[in-house]
Amino acid sequence: MSDPMSSERTSRSYTRGQIVKSALGTGAVLGGLGPLAAACGSSGGSSSGAAAGSGGSGGGSITIGTFSDPAMVPFQKVFLPKFTKETGIKVNYQQTNYNAWYQNSKTDGLQKTGAYDIYVMDDNWVPEFAAGGIIQSMDKLGLKVNPDILAKGLDQGYWPPKSGPRLKAFANDTPQLYSLVIIDDVEILYYRGDLFPSAPKTWDDIAATAKAKTNPPSMYGWTARGVAGNPIVQTYLPLLNSYGGNFVNDDWSPGFAGPEGVGALERLFSFIPYMPSGVAAFDTSQETAVMLEGHCTAMTEYTGTAHIVDDPTQSKVPHKIDFAATPTQERSGPAIGTFICGIASGAPNTAGAVKFLEWFTSSPVQKEFAGTGSAAVTGSALRDATLSKKYRWLPAIADAVDNSIPKPRTPDEPKMEDLLGTALNQALVQAISQKSNYQQIAQSHLTTAANQITAYLKQQGTY
Amino acid sequence: MTDLVVSPESPEPGEPPRQRKVLPGSGWGGRFVASPYLLLVPAAVALAGVSLYPLFYGVRASFTHYLYGRDFGTNGLTNYRNVWHDEFFRQAMVTTAKYVVCTVTIETLLGLGLALLVSREIRFSSPIRVGLILPMTIAPVVVGVMWRLIYDSGVGVTDPLWQLFGASPPDVLAHNTSAFIAVVVVDVWEWTPLIFLIVLAGLQSMPQEPLEAARVDGAGRVRLFMDHTLPMLMPVLLVAITLRTIDAIGTFDQIYVLTQGGPGTATRLISIYAYNTAFLFTQYGQAAAMLVMLLIMVMLLMIVAVRLMRRAAR
Repeated sequence: MSDPMSSERTSRSYTRGQIVKSALGTGAVLGGLGPLAAACGSSGGSSSGAAAGSGGSGGGSITIGTFSDPAMVPFQKVFLPKFTKETGIKVNYQQTNYNAWYQNSKTDGLQKTGAYDIYVMDDNWVPEFAAGGIIQSMDKLGLKVNPDILAKGLDQGYWPPKSGPRLKAFANDTPQLYSLVIIDDVEILYYRGDLFPSAPKTWDDIAATAKAKTNPPSMYGWTARGVAGNPIVQTYLPLLNSYGGNFVNDDWSPGFAGPEGVGALERLFSFIPYMPSGVAAFDTSQETAVMLEGHCTAMTEYTGTAHIVDDPTQSKVPHKIDFAATPTQERSGPAIGTFICGIASGAPNTAGAVKFLEWFTSSPVQKEFAGTGSAAVTGSALRDATLSKKYRWLPAIADAVDNSIPKPRTPDEPKMEDLLGTALNQALVQAISQKSNYQQIAQSHLTTAANQITAYLKQQGTY
Repeated sequence: MTDLVVSPESPEPGEPPRQRKVLPGSGWGGRFVASPYLLLVPAAVALAGVSLYPLFYGVRASFTHYLYGRDFGTNGLTNYRNVWHDEFFRQAMVTTAKYVVCTVTIETLLGLGLALLVSREIRFSSPIRVGLILPMTIAPVVVGVMWRLIYDSGVGVTDPLWQLFGASPPDVLAHNTSAFIAVVVVDVWEWTPLIFLIVLAGLQSMPQEPLEAARVDGAGRVRLFMDHTLPMLMPVLLVAITLRTIDAIGTFDQIYVLTQGGPGTATRLISIYAYNTAFLFTQYGQAAAMLVMLLIMVMLLMIVAVRLMRRAAR
């Protein structure tokens, strides 16, 4: 016999409208659950991280997330095991590609999932991560800074910045240390020691040797990154800074469209006869290939290439490339782009993270780090006489850091860099094709970029 | 008067199906009317979850003010206004339009020509077909890397080839026009096989009687193609063109690898600009607004294409 209640339930009729409403309702609920599910997915990592980090400062573990980069290899392979051996704190190391890690760390910090204790970041992430509460103030966590760390590298970790323009909302705040530099990546001059009479100090020195030695395609006097956006900006900044210009002035107005900026770009154009003809499409790999194949006398580049210049499997001119701070006009002004660590807003083991960062940036450990040829962050390591003989780029890195000029400290820096970089690339393409009228080309494109940046910053409303 | 609904009932084994009369809205009858819709619910929910929800979220994002990646609530049409006044967006739209017109036109002509050539049983037609399809099977990122190496002024083959004939190296990716042509060539190389395959399928399924009748009536090859083959092929060709147009508008991987949109903005398609806007400049709202505007344009284009197809099918 059938159950009357059951019969009553099953006999309910459904109209088309009810079903559609019901389906949409369910869909909406499930749709609404999407972000929740995503958050739960993230907190899966959190729970393991939290469990892992529950040991506190005396033990347990910390989790470090980072982007993949060859410069991080000694850090991972040598120093993480050493830290564990010395302190008993286990280190989980997770890496992914640059763009994915930027998004991943940002999401992780905003949601405070606790999946990571330390984020390894590019220094231009610091404004966004510090202002957005994605990372914690290290001053508040009681981190003790090693006074041996080079000041210009250390300053990259402060928010709001200690010098230069500030966002309106942070104009009166006291700078606090939000992240700590672990690799002083900075632009240095790579030059052929056998082709220059002495270490070049000025752009005129570079130009003189370029003129004397250029004999395409076997030898060029200069090579550069010319691709639009970030690459060509890295080429231009040491020139701009050395000519006394600024990316932005203290009131956020662009500081490159005046005579200094135009002069700097004209100087770059003056190298056109001495550069490979396809330089407008060159990025790091093409630029360094010309140098390592022995076809170029000099270039400016970050420190990442330094450790391969003497490797005969990667360089056709081993032991012939030397290093110096980027050339001067009025001053030397390389761009700086440090690898820098922040402690995640939801870090489950902040004490362990602080302990690790203090340990890694201590002078003895940094000396060992420099002993792998890496761009250490302390003056004593970079200027160590014994190490400098073996790794001749280390003193050049120290000089470059001391002379470095930071890029604008704002989350909008990538957009500003894109606007300037697009204009610079267009100017270079035009200059290569016209081979004259450099002053007018430089002025026209730099003015356009300056106007675009001004309009963009106005639109953002935070300056 | 009450309507009666006939409802099937399970027969005893070996008996023919019996039918039972039930009242609508009560008992078994109502449930059976609803059953098809109930059965659709899982699919509808899945569709809403994976297809409609992201679309809805994207449209919502286009009306949201994001500052440095954080949601600060709705801001009306501000994102659309900013995008509309963004000269780089307009440039990207123009570049995308030029790119789509160039690639789809060349691919259609080449694909059609190759399909006509291979549809007849000529010698080595099988290996030729396989060879023609191969580029399409390679991942676009790999295609980008391959062609980057070919065009590269240092290690590539293009510049030495020019120099072999006494010309100065073209530095393909370093000049606006040559870079644009270069990315069009890559797309044509990779995606002509798609049009080729679709048209070849159309040619092989085409009824032969009208063609034979025309041949008997003395029609030459050109007349046969223009008056018979092409009109019969038109619906298939329009499907191929529509598919390729949608795909070409969204081209990203190979251009990002080859030129990153440069030199200057010469190869910066809307997909690349929207990607940079979202993930490099963290302007999620404006990136969403760009893509919604693009979506509307593509939908309008598709409506036109579908109408053309219907007309061609008649």
